[in-house]
Amino acid sequence: MDILANFGQGLLTVLEPQNLLYCFIGVFLGTFIGVLPGIGSMAAIAMILPLTFYLDPTPALVMIAGVFYGAEYGGSTASILLNVPGTPAASITAIEGHQLAKKGRAGVALFSTATASFGGGIIGMIVIAVLSPSLAQLALAFGPADYFAVILLGLIAASAVSNGGALKGIAMVVTGLMLGTIGIDLTTGTLRFTMGIPELRDGVHIVVIAMGLFGVSEVIASIRTNIRGTAAQTVDYNDFYPTRAEWKSLPGPILRGSSIGSFIGALPGTGQTIAAALAYAVEKRVSPQRKDFGTGVVAGVAVPEAANNSATQTAFIPTLTLGVPGSPPMAIVIGALMIYGITPGPRLLVDEPEMFWGLVASFLVGNILLLILNVPLIGIWVRLLRIPYRYMYPTIVVLICMGVYSLNNNVFDVWLTLVIGVIGYLMRLFRFEPAPLLLGFVLGPMMEEHLRRTMLLSRGDPMVFLERPISATLLAITAAIIVFALYSTGRNRRRARAAHRQAQQEGSKQ
Amino acid sequence: MRQDRRTLIGVGLAALALAAAPQAMAEPGAWSSAPVRIVVTFPPGGTSDLVARLLAQHLDTDFGQKAVVDNRPGAAGTVAADYVAQQAGDGTTLILSNNAPFTISPTRFKSIPYDTMGDFTHIAYIGAAAPALFVQPSSGITSLADFVAQVKSDPMTYGSSGVGSISHILGEAVDAALGIESIHVPYQGSAPAIQDFRAGVLDSFYDMVGQNRAMIADGEAVALAIAATERDPQSPDLPTFREQGYDVVIENWVGVSGPAGMDPAMVAKINETVNAVFASPEVQARLAELGISPRAMSSADYTALVADLIDTWAPLIEAAGIKE
Repeated sequence: MDILANFGQGLLTVLEPQNLLYCFIGVFLGTFIGVLPGIGSMAAIAMILPLTFYLDPTPALVMIAGVFYGAEYGGSTASILLNVPGTPAASITAIEGHQLAKKGRAGVALFSTATASFGGGIIGMIVIAVLSPSLAQLALAFGPADYFAVILLGLIAASAVSNGGALKGIAMVVTGLMLGTIGIDLTTGTLRFTMGIPELRDGVHIVVIAMGLFGVSEVIASIRTNIRGTAAQTVDYNDFYPTRAEWKSLPGPILRGSSIGSFIGALPGTGQTIAAALAYAVEKRVSPQRKDFGTGVVAGVAVPEAANNSATQTAFIPTLTLGVPGSPPMAIVIGALMIYGITPGPRLLVDEPEMFWGLVASFLVGNILLLILNVPLIGIWVRLLRIPYRYMYPTIVVLICMGVYSLNNNVFDVWLTLVIGVIGYLMRLFRFEPAPLLLGFVLGPMMEEHLRRTMLLSRGDPMVFLERPISATLLAITAAIIVFALYSTGRNRRRARAAHRQAQQEGSKQ
Repeated sequence: MRQDRRTLIGVGLAALALAAAPQAMAEPGAWSSAPVRIVVTFPPGGTSDLVARLLAQHLDTDFGQKAVVDNRPGAAGTVAADYVAQQAGDGTTLILSNNAPFTISPTRFKSIPYDTMGDFTHIAYIGAAAPALFVQPSSGITSLADFVAQVKSDPMTYGSSGVGSISHILGEAVDAALGIESIHVPYQGSAPAIQDFRAGVLDSFYDMVGQNRAMIADGEAVALAIAATERDPQSPDLPTFREQGYDVVIENWVGVSGPAGMDPAMVAKINETVNAVFASPEVQARLAELGISPRAMSSADYTALVADLIDTWAPLIEAAGIKE
C-alpha cells in the first residue's frame, strides 16, 4: 500500500506544470532523435545534458529519462519504414517490421509497435515501483565486495548473452576496460596513460566516447549508405489498425517480451539491445505463429518493442538503488545526478523520495504522451524521415560538437570525439560492436575501484568475497552463468560437428 | 623539524587571521564596464559553483558590476587555473580560488603550466569550511584520547573523498600529529564514503561538518574533532583538534584571484567589493547553509596565506604518497 501512496505522491509531483513540460520536452526530443537513423538515446541524452544544468534535479531527471525511453519509441519508426534502425535496439524490430512495411502494412506495424512499447513501458514501471524499495533496503548493507560481485555479474551476463562474434565482443570489452584506466588512479593518485596531456588527467568523459562511437561514426557511415537519399513510405491511415486476429495475438508477446526485458534491463550493464534480441529469439521458439516469423508477423514486432521498452525502464533499478548503471546511457544519468550533489545509491529513496517517485510516476505520464505522439501524430515523424540527409547530418554533427564542448568548455574534447568517431567508423567496417566497448569503459573503472577498496578494507584478504553472503551468492550466480555459457557453446559446436559429419556421410553415399 | 613545521600550520593561520586588520584603501563598487567572468574550477552545482553564483548575483544587484560564472572543471582545477593565468590582468577575468589548483597541485604534480604565486594576483579571501573526524557509535570512542588508544593497538580504516582531497590530507595530518598509522580508503566524493560508513564497512571518515550535522544529531556518527582554528558556531559541542592537544588545522577555503599584473588600485577595489558582498547578513546566512564560515582579509594577507599553505602542506602531500 505504501507503494501506491508513494506513487500517488509522485504523480502529484510530475503533474506540476513545470515537471509536466519537461517530461513532454524529454519524450518529444527522444522520439525525434530516435526517429533519426543511427542517432540513439545515448547521443540524445549527451546533447541535452548541458541544458539540464539550469534545471532543478527532478525536472532534469524526468527530462533525461523521457529522452531515454522516448528514443526507443521513435527508434522503431525508421527501422520499419526504411529498414535502418533508429536506435540499436530497434534493429530487432526491423526484422519483422520492415517485412510488414513491404507488404504495405507499415501502418499496422507502427501501431503495434506503439502499443507494445506502451505495454512494455508500463510493465517496466510497475517492476521498478515494486522492486526498488526492497532492493534499496537490501543495498543499504552492500559493501565494496558486494558491488564488485554485482558488476562482475553484469559484465559476464552481458557478454554471455550478447549476439555476434564472442571474440570480437570480448576484444571490445577489453578495449573499453583499457580506455577506462586513463586518468588519475583513484586509489593512489598516480597518473595512468595520460601521455602528458593535462586534459586526460580526469580520464576520457563517457559522453566523448559515446558521441564518438554512436554519433559521429554513425553520421560517417550514413554518408555512404544513404547517398541515394531516402524513400520513406507513406502511411495509409485506412490500414492503421490491426485485424481482430492480430489484436488477439498481441497480449501474449507483449507480456513475454516485457518479462524478459524487465529482467535483462535490471541487470547492471546489459541494456535494451540484448533484451530485444533475447526476447525475439525466445518468441521465435514459443510463439503460436512461429512458422511465419521472418515474413512479417505483428507478434514479431511487438516482442522486441515490449522488451526494449521495459528494459529501458528497469535499467533505472540498479542505477538508482545501487549507483551501478543499468546500461551505458544510465552512466550519463548518474553523472547528471552527481552534478546536483545527489549520489545514486540506496540512500536515494530515503533522502530524495519526491524525486524517485516523481520519476517513476513520470514513466506513466511519459508513456501516455508517447502513445499520443506515436499513434495520432505518427505522420509528423514519417515526414521527418524525408528531410534530406545533407541538411540533417551536418546539423547533428554541430549539435554533437556543442554538446561535447559544453561538458568541460574544452576544445580538446571536441577533437577527441571526432578522432574516436573515425576509429568507431573503422570498427564498424570490420564489424566490431561499439556497445561492449562502452560497457567495459563504464563498468571497468567501477569494478576496479570496488575491488581495490575491498582489498584495502580486508587488509589484503581475498576470502572476504566468499565470506560476505551477498557477494558469495552473486559470485555463485556468475559462475553458473559461465558454466552454462561454456556448456551451450560446447553443445552447439558438437551439434554443428554432428550435422557436418552427417552431411558429409550423406554426400559420400551419393 | 617536520613536526615543528606542522605545528606552524595553525599558528600561521591564527596569526594571519589576527593580522587581517582592515586596510581601507578603496570604496566598494563596480570596477569594470565590461562583464566580469568568474571562472570556477568545478562543474555547475557544487559548493564552489554556488559561492561563485552568489558572488556574481550580488555584485550585480548590490554594486552594479555585471558578472557571469564560467565553469572550467578538470584535472584537479589546473585546467581553469592555467586558463586564467593566460588572461589579461584587467579585472575582467577572475577565478574562484581554492586549495586543489593553488596549494596542492604545485607539490603534487611534477609540472603544472603556471606558478601559483607568480602568475596570479590573490585578491580576496571569502571563507572556509572545516572537516572533522567521524567514528562509528558502536566503537565506544568518544574523544581523541580514546581514538589514539584504540588505533595504536589496531589500525583503523578511514574514508576520504578522494586521493589528494582535503579529507585525505587531513587524514595524513592526523596520522602524523597523533603518531598513528591508519588505512586510507579513497572514495569519489564524500557521499559514497558516508554510505559505506553507514553500512558498517568503514571504521571512520573525514568530511566537512556542515553536511553531516543530521548524522551527528541522529547518533549515526560520533564527531571527535574539527580541524578548524575555532569551534563551528553551528556545532558548538564539537571541540577542535587543538583544544584536545593536537595542532591540526586543515581548512577548505575559497577566495578570489585574478591573473598576474593587475593594477593595485583595482585589486584594492575588488577586495573591498568582494568583502562587502560577503559581509551582508543575507549572503552570510547562505554561506552558513553551505557550511562556510566567512572571514574578510586584505589582498596582501590572502597572498601570504596562499604562499604559506603551499609550504605547510608540501610535507603532508609527500607523506600521503600522492606526489606524481
